Amino acid sequence: MSASKRDEFFAKLFSPEGKPSALEGIRVVELSVSNLVGSMVGGLLRELGAEVVRVEPPDGDPLRELSPYGVKVKGLGIPYLVENSGKKVVRLDLEREEDREDLRKLLVSCDVVIDALKPGYLDSINLGYRSISSENPKVIYLAISPYGHFSKKAREMSNVPDSDLTAQAYNGYPSLIGNPSVRPTPLRAGMWAAWAMAAICAVNGVLVALYERLKSGKGQFVDIATHEVLAAVHAYPITIGFLFGRSRPQYGFIDYLVYPFGVFKTKDGYITVATPFDTDFRAFLKLIKRWDLEPDWRYAVDRVTDDVDRIVELDREVRKELLKYSSEELIKKSLSRGLLPEALRRLVGRPVIVKSYTLKEALGEEHWYIRQSMLRVKVNGKEILVPNSPFRMSETPGRVPVEKMFTQEVLTKESFMAMTSRKSE
Amino acid sequence: MSDYFEYVEELFKSGEKRDPPLKGIKVLEMTHYVYGPTVGAALALLGAEVVKVESVGEGDRFRAAVLWMRMFKKANLNYLLINANKYVITLDARNAKAREILLKLASKADVFVENLRAGLLDALGLGYAHLSKVNPKIIYVSCSGYGQYGPLSRAPSFDVSAQGIIGLAMKTGWPDVDEFYKLPDYFGDFFPAMVAVAAVLAALYYREKTGKGQYIDMTQAESLFRFFYDVTYLSLTGEEIGKTGNVDPLAIASGIFATSDGKFVAIAIMDEGQLSALSKAMNVDLLGPYKGRLRTKECISELNDRISKWASSRTLDEIMSHAKTYGFPAAPVLTDLDVYKDPWRWERGSTIEFEDRMYGKVHIPRLPIHLSATPPRVKWLGRPVGYHNRLVLKKWLGYTDEEIKRLEEEGVISYWDQAPGMCPPDAWDIDSDPVFKGEKDECE
Repeated sequence: MSASKRDEFFAKLFSPEGKPSALEGIRVVELSVSNLVGSMVGGLLRELGAEVVRVEPPDGDPLRELSPYGVKVKGLGIPYLVENSGKKVVRLDLEREEDREDLRKLLVSCDVVIDALKPGYLDSINLGYRSISSENPKVIYLAISPYGHFSKKAREMSNVPDSDLTAQAYNGYPSLIGNPSVRPTPLRAGMWAAWAMAAICAVNGVLVALYERLKSGKGQFVDIATHEVLAAVHAYPITIGFLFGRSRPQYGFIDYLVYPFGVFKTKDGYITVATPFDTDFRAFLKLIKRWDLEPDWRYAVDRVTDDVDRIVELDREVRKELLKYSSEELIKKSLSRGLLPEALRRLVGRPVIVKSYTLKEALGEEHWYIRQSMLRVKVNGKEILVPNSPFRMSETPGRVPVEKMFTQEVLTKESFMAMTSRKSE
Repeated sequence: MSDYFEYVEELFKSGEKRDPPLKGIKVLEMTHYVYGPTVGAALALLGAEVVKVESVGEGDRFRAAVLWMRMFKKANLNYLLINANKYVITLDARNAKAREILLKLASKADVFVENLRAGLLDALGLGYAHLSKVNPKIIYVSCSGYGQYGPLSRAPSFDVSAQGIIGLAMKTGWPDVDEFYKLPDYFGDFFPAMVAVAAVLAALYYREKTGKGQYIDMTQAESLFRFFYDVTYLSLTGEEIGKTGNVDPLAIASGIFATSDGKFVAIAIMDEGQLSALSKAMNVDLLGPYKGRLRTKECISELNDRISKWASSRTLDEIMSHAKTYGFPAAPVLTDLDVYKDPWRWERGSTIEFEDRMYGKVHIPRLPIHLSATPPRVKWLGRPVGYHNRLVLKKWLGYTDEEIKRLEEEGVISYWDQAPGMCPPDAWDIDSDPVFKGEKDECE
């Protein structure tokens, strides 16, 4: 199949029109007042087709205020808009006995509970897992909190609310980032990395429990601790601790595994360079016409990054050299090697060089619009962009229901009664 | 009524346990490096039977990618982890006989995962069109940087490249320093891999109900974009958030602050309730003076200055004790060693000591998804190149020893050489290893 034929074939295969969703018929109740990570979990399950009902306080959820520098659209912050469009809302005051009774009805008739409130709170008003599961043994109860719902520490820290920054810190992430010779302070990863990883792991817990329930007919408790997930997934702090008995120093402009592998400045912009193998590195030296560096740095073992002072010498030379070229020149040169047959390419090596874009430049790529990676939403005569669902599935495509962004359905007493009177699934 | 935290602990320790959630699910993967293998690893830890196909010769090139060149018993421990519980075999996909075997394996698989260059498997006759012909119910997952179609689909991708192309690699750093730090430890691989796992699980759920398989086009780029709220912010305001140092732009106040005892504490105030809690801890009114301009850049920086000053005259313990008493987000900034030794992770069973048949005792993290009735479980670590060739050919396809011998002679399948990363530990007696010979399974 030619490249253009292939493109056409796939564009058609992945068209979402008229297709079902994977989780149709599943009802999720999300309790995540002022805790974005809970809404991220509910947001992803919604994308897969679940009906998600958010429980909000009568005077509204403070989550609406949460937004980069407080920016809002029609009174709502960006994360609230992105994660909560298409969810239904029920307003309950959990300090009132009557409303608790309503929440009980909701919990005993649903498939999945997302508990992103203070650990132990729902149990304290007799609406926790032990109470709900005795009436609804098929319930999947997802708890997401900084330190989980069991262990001494979980109890000790139960009054400390969650945040992405504290989760990054407790996962050891900021200790690795930054350049100590510039500023020896641990540095935050510039994205909500700890929460994103915790949210997707929570979703995986819910999904695998739903799948298992088809066989066993039973639900279970899923416990996610945002302050442990990131490091446990990539595992490096634990393997480093076990193998070396020490910590990696902070030198975020160099990768710990291979050199070069990072962001570099050119004459007219920035690129990322990755040279996973010695052959790739040597090809890179040829490309930047610095073969003179080859004898000293030939092997991966010469470029081991545990000795920062040493690798910095090479880094200085590489950075100096790259400033002489335009990004486009370097990318072209590396791509020409990519055209070689696989076996030959391995032999002669190829540095992987691509542009390191600013976000504005990145969004200029036609690619995202051809694939509908970005959805366009009209608001106040303006067009805003919302990233689309990453679940590109041919039969059950993920959907971010942006069309419902400003038309949130708040359940009335009648629709609430109708919903809770039937058990879903 | 017993204490809630004890009740949950009891539920996890001695509540009802059932079969692994993915028991009976067969997965075939042609993967290398980190992105693809991590998908199969999660499925394997959840109980699926996973066969990983590596290329003949050196196998998965991540085998040799050892941190600081420190092998663990001649292996890359991180390779062993993201290939735990898998049956590793080799096949030369350019060989017609090998492709025939691959199709036979695929006809028995529920899920197929690959992260080779977009279009490569199509060209080899192993694309979705081919596999779904022999197995219409198959769930076929392609993992790539930018997707199977579109102008960027042929661009090469590693973790850092994907971070670069979507504008993420320029997001980490100090606003006043012309340096950019990528997200470390291959976030651009591990996060998209976990997103792909969700797609597989959703597809399995759907298939169980309808009998239908499907094709899934997972990308690093679209996964990383998903929670990148900067996209919407930029389209709305025309401005980039860019690098913000230690400030979380979603927060009312936030940062990593030096404490009086030479440590660091991360504090992030996400709502007004937490700001009032911090006010009590600092014994000042942080709400009144900023009413109406909370979350503006000026206000964030004023508040951060005050917190920084306050933190600098208190110990980390004092600050954490305030956080617990009044209720605002705060945490120490851990190092690798702190994370490794953290008693909480050991107590929770998130970091464990595991005894592997081949590699002995190791300390490793578990998949951090705690499921009360069907916990994920490590059964064995990664294995040398081609280690399960015989077992898989016998068990999945019923090959005889003679047939296997012929395939070995023809180079259709192969084994490790003595290069580190590919071979067994030095002391391992391979000739009397029944699993290698295909006579016994890893866990029986």
